[in-house]
Amino acid sequence: MNREIVKTIALVVVLSAAWRAHAADAKAPYPSMAPLDQYLITDRNAEIELARSAAPESISKDAEVLVLGQHGYEIAVKGKNGFVCLVERSWTTGSDDPEFWNPKLRAPICFNPAAARSYVPFTIKKTELLLAGQSKTQMFESIKSGLDKGELPTPEPGAMCYMLSKQGYLNDHAGHWHPHVMFFVPLNDSQTWGADLPGSPVLASKDIADRMMVFMIPVAKWSDGTADSTDMH
Amino acid sequence: MNQKIVRMIALGSFALVVLLSASQTRAEDSKTPYSSMAPLDQYLMTDRNAEIALARSAVPESISRDAEVLVLGRHGYETAVKGKNGFVCVVERSWMAPFDDPEFLNPDQRLPLCLNPPAARSHLPLTFRMTELALAGLSKTQMFDSIKAAFDKNELPMPEPGSICYMMSKQQYFGRKYGNADPHLMFWVPKTDDMFWGAGLYGSPVYVHQYSPEPITEFIISVSKWSDGTAAPTD
Repeated sequence: MNREIVKTIALVVVLSAAWRAHAADAKAPYPSMAPLDQYLITDRNAEIELARSAAPESISKDAEVLVLGQHGYEIAVKGKNGFVCLVERSWTTGSDDPEFWNPKLRAPICFNPAAARSYVPFTIKKTELLLAGQSKTQMFESIKSGLDKGELPTPEPGAMCYMLSKQGYLNDHAGHWHPHVMFFVPLNDSQTWGADLPGSPVLASKDIADRMMVFMIPVAKWSDGTADSTDMH
Repeated sequence: MNQKIVRMIALGSFALVVLLSASQTRAEDSKTPYSSMAPLDQYLMTDRNAEIALARSAVPESISRDAEVLVLGRHGYETAVKGKNGFVCVVERSWMAPFDDPEFLNPDQRLPLCLNPPAARSHLPLTFRMTELALAGLSKTQMFDSIKAAFDKNELPMPEPGSICYMMSKQQYFGRKYGNADPHLMFWVPKTDDMFWGAGLYGSPVYVHQYSPEPITEFIISVSKWSDGTAAPTD
């Protein structure tokens, strides 16, 4: 299993600190935020469809769907099963991720009810702060402050999500990578899953800024039912 | 673990008292393929080292080498190898199958699993209790009632957050219908809806088993490789 690619994906989704490249480095491919339009999807229905592609239709058809607008995420479709689907953008990666401002990044995710309550608030908050003009540093300081004041939650037991979209673009290295499910747990529970050890099917990413651990388990099929083509999962 | 074994022996004494009534209930269960316990020897593994190896095969060696290992003795599970990473590996027997599973009490079933620390704390007590009841010769009905009562009285714990176990042994044997099935991970949570994880729906990679009478939900996710690194069947 190619651990480097695995780590790369983890960064995209959960603010991993695995990448050590400096954002300020002149060689960084995305040194600052691109014009907002490059992050938006002009076709609202296309974004809804992309968000839903994160999970099988049996789940996504009744999920709430959020789309990115000029000032943040907006409810495009009301749900009735507690799941929330959305397309994350590059600023949900780690602060030192060289693709933090990659405007091509599209990460469709469907969150279960526990994650919708305890993880999605981070995505919404970060997006609102950045689109309101805060710098990356200011945004992470705001997140830290929100956590310190208890305004942002810790992961609820059972918080998880689906990332099964073949249409996703998680970074320049891995493209859509592999279909997988992810679990969010409090940071202090990070040693209990046997993740990242040789042969373990569980991959881990420590999200220091959001104070949570993310565990990933690759699965065999994309949300459309087709098989993942390689041996990565 | 030793406290558990002591408690198991104590409960075994209690179980002897109800042994006679158990035999009556067994007759009622006679229509199922394994209506009552087979002779105990059929559930035991004579080679202790083989049972240790089988238990460890539930998970990659990187995890199992530092795990505690339990083996089944005549009076219950015993610690065969002390661990240092909080994981516990054990070969469960068929009395841990669902009560309505046709393989319940099948003496051939061998289910190696390695539990992470939260699961070791909160699931193993159920394994120990069921083993006590089975070794005491209780009928399926009596076991069901006893487990239900234990949960009603809070004598058995609910799953802790993050309770998972690995079942990746190519040597696992569920019975004639499923053989060694596939490598998978299991997640235990206090009883919840299938939809909590979107499980059991068409296209979902998450399967679900609702325990009964235990107020526990088990979510299952298949993985692509056995613990020895070889690929599992794709379908």
